[in-house]
Amino acid sequence: MDIREDLGPLRRRSAILFLAALLALGALHLRLAHLQIVNGTYWRQMAENNRLRRVPQTSARGRIYDRRGNVLADTHATWELLLFPQDTRDLDRTALFLSQIGIADAATLHQRLHTPGEVPLAPILAGEKLSWSQVARIRARQSDYPELHVVSRFRRQYPHGEVTAHAIGHLRPVLQSELDADSTLNANSLVGATGIEELKNALLSGADGESWVIVSAVGQQLGVVRERAASSGTDIGLTLDLDLQTVAREAMADQAGAIVAMDVHTGALRVLYSAPSFDPNLFVGRLSRHEWENLRDDPRHPLQDRCSQGAYPPGSAIKPFLALGALTDGLMTPEWTVSCQGSLVLHGHPFRCWRRSGHGHVQLRRSLEASCDCYYYLVGQRLGIEGIERWLKAFGFGQQSGIGFPTERPGLIGNPEWSLRVRKHPWYAGETVSVSIGQGPLLTTALQLARALAAVANGGLLLTPYMVEGDNPAPPTRMAINGTALEQVQAGLAMVVHGPEGTARSLARMPIAGKTGTAQVARLQEGVLSKDLAPELQHHAWFVGWAPLDDPQLVVCVLVEHGGSGGGVAAPMAGKIFAAALGLSAEGPKPTPADIE
Amino acid sequence: MIAMEHRLDAWMVLAAAAILGTSLVTLHAVSPAIGLQMFFRQLVFGVVGLILLLLLSRLHVTVYERLAPVAYGLALVALTAVLWLGKTKAGTRAWFALGPVTIQPSELARLATALMVAAWLARRGGRALTIKEFVVVGAFVAAPMALILLEPDLGVALTYMPLIVAAYWLGSLPARTWAALLVVAVLAGVWTWQVALKPYQKERVLTILDQERDPYGAGYQVRQSKIAVGSGRLVGQGLGRGSQSLLRFLPAQHTDFVFAAWAEATGFLGATGLLLAYALLLARIGMVAATADSRHGMILCALLGSWLAFQVVVNLGMVLGWLPTTGITLPLFSYGGSSLLACFAALGVVQSVWRFRLVYQ
Repeated sequence: MDIREDLGPLRRRSAILFLAALLALGALHLRLAHLQIVNGTYWRQMAENNRLRRVPQTSARGRIYDRRGNVLADTHATWELLLFPQDTRDLDRTALFLSQIGIADAATLHQRLHTPGEVPLAPILAGEKLSWSQVARIRARQSDYPELHVVSRFRRQYPHGEVTAHAIGHLRPVLQSELDADSTLNANSLVGATGIEELKNALLSGADGESWVIVSAVGQQLGVVRERAASSGTDIGLTLDLDLQTVAREAMADQAGAIVAMDVHTGALRVLYSAPSFDPNLFVGRLSRHEWENLRDDPRHPLQDRCSQGAYPPGSAIKPFLALGALTDGLMTPEWTVSCQGSLVLHGHPFRCWRRSGHGHVQLRRSLEASCDCYYYLVGQRLGIEGIERWLKAFGFGQQSGIGFPTERPGLIGNPEWSLRVRKHPWYAGETVSVSIGQGPLLTTALQLARALAAVANGGLLLTPYMVEGDNPAPPTRMAINGTALEQVQAGLAMVVHGPEGTARSLARMPIAGKTGTAQVARLQEGVLSKDLAPELQHHAWFVGWAPLDDPQLVVCVLVEHGGSGGGVAAPMAGKIFAAALGLSAEGPKPTPADIE
Repeated sequence: MIAMEHRLDAWMVLAAAAILGTSLVTLHAVSPAIGLQMFFRQLVFGVVGLILLLLLSRLHVTVYERLAPVAYGLALVALTAVLWLGKTKAGTRAWFALGPVTIQPSELARLATALMVAAWLARRGGRALTIKEFVVVGAFVAAPMALILLEPDLGVALTYMPLIVAAYWLGSLPARTWAALLVVAVLAGVWTWQVALKPYQKERVLTILDQERDPYGAGYQVRQSKIAVGSGRLVGQGLGRGSQSLLRFLPAQHTDFVFAAWAEATGFLGATGLLLAYALLLARIGMVAATADSRHGMILCALLGSWLAFQVVVNLGMVLGWLPTTGITLPLFSYGGSSLLACFAALGVVQSVWRFRLVYQ
């Protein structure tokens, strides 16, 4: 190849290309000078007049209704005041203005401005729930305070706040990690923290939107650059019954405890009330640290949902399930007779019956009616801890009920393996005796007891409780229970209310069956009466029952923390729920024993 | 006459490094609005790019001639594969995801296309292009462009245009062919306007003709860009203080409109400095082309120079409000790893032409 070939024409053409490029650059440089030098002042003014704001638009959360269409959680529009920090000229002057019209003081503004983790350039929330006159006064002074921006915002409202607080749940500010993961949220978004608000947050919340708005230097809106409209959440209907919730709240009065009522055939929850309650309306805006600490540090723990998170020893309320287990396993017959002398020596220790004088000869029905402890000490011995655990698990104890609350506690069924793993010491044979009467390492929730007793009432179907109408809960489990045994235990539970020795005789005017439970908090010293104990050492009182007797519809479980006796304290509360739910009258004619049989 | 290895052209490397440095300073200054992650990524890709430049400059220039068909073939395969295997961002399927980084083959394939066109043009000698050769050269560039339009990525596809135009120019088309091309271009333009352009694209063109048209809609970006550049005035608002960039008025301020962020912060002085750096870069590439000893080296440098010059001129024209917004980035400056690597690789190839030239003594 001739390397000396004539490259001249090519070189010329190439040079022309590069000269053209440099000429174009030169022209662009002239344009640059025109923009920056000749017209620079004009454009600088434009820049100063140019304020782009990202204004959050909140979505309206879906409403929550009870089964009769009463609104339990509502949404209404309010005015809010946003402050855009980058447009602030003199924060103290603005703070003075805002405090004059009663919105915020300088300390609060400074604190919110310097809250760590704020998104840069995001507005801070300077005021909530503005009145019309406040809005009017801000609008009138808008040009003096261009950094202020009034927006409308949907706000949650719970008309029956404390009545439904734990079931509905409350809201909380969104976490940074959630903000990062979901672009439809903004820094001021609220999401469900507990209860249905949390469980159904995806459905209820809708999507927040935002608009990018250009405002002039005096805060006048010039145009909307971009907008993503907010979309509303979906309304939800619950199975709860507001009237019954109200009855539960009135019945519980100022006691602490839980009331659960559930449909015997479907598992639909009618009442889920935990006391003491709190006002969820506190959480719909910016909760002050002071308010939050008050709630969190309250010794009565109002935020705890005692229905699903409160695990307590069930006391005698556990007896029907052990009896059913032992009968089905063929370990005893309904006619098996135990002679109760007031105490029993097992594994070298004396175990007392709650009635010091003893019950005499006790068979299955009377063991439930009079709640004889000695009888169940022996039932427990026949089942053994393995049998107890197997049967209690079958009735849904020791596991979450399936209602879906992530905070629901599974409770506890103590056993030798658990003892070694958690307590690091072996299981004592005496503990099996305690567990036989619902004491010792055995913890249940009100929700679990209601669910288990519903299975007794409906003929052996273990249901999954649910609260949202239209949800399909997990299908019920058909339990392998001996039919005769079931009838006998049902009859025994009717005797609890209607028998001469029944521990819940006070309800005898109503067609109810059930079981009381009185769980010791502290072991009684010899000679001390339980009513003399300090309040925090008083027994937990339980009642769990169903009605009507012959056609069970509703199961109710009542727990009263440190309430005293199940028959005296918890059973009357359950009676009020039954009366309200089924239109029963506590004053009606007392059924004859023949009716019960 | 002796063949020898020359030293790198330091002026060219200096200009490129200065532009990269300016880019990093700008990305850091606007990080309150866009985050610091882009700054660090650009830093890493910049350093890798400089190393790539040094490595590629050590390869003998004839290697690029021999390997051109291989590189071009691989590029077509990658552009085809990305249509199936690629990752989609904002509706465009243009990226291979490799762990934390994404590679955009359409940015890298341009260099392969330039190598192919240069090798082919150099082989056929100095006479004017025949009609058949005219079609072949066009097809070399049109193939990757078509694949990129399928992604679809109009901005990147447009950056292949200067390769065609420069190839025809260097291949010395007869005057009547140029005239015919002009007619075709006008017809294609009319067709594009009538049929192919989406309404929003038409709006972008119209706002160039009528600057006050729809200032919060289609004209928004260009208007904000002009406000940013203009408000820089002589000395700028200061790094990290430009309200247009920091308050996020400026759209795509780390990619398409990054020059506006720099001009806002450093004013006419800083912007002039940057333009001088680009002028130096292009002048040195032109100098390498002019002193090349072979048809291949000359064509290669002219093609690569045309590409870079086209992107610089079109991007700045857009930022300064002369041209419609098309998504063409500023070489060595706009955020984007693949684009940065492609630019440095191209400079590495130019350096190879420079280092392995013959000198007549």
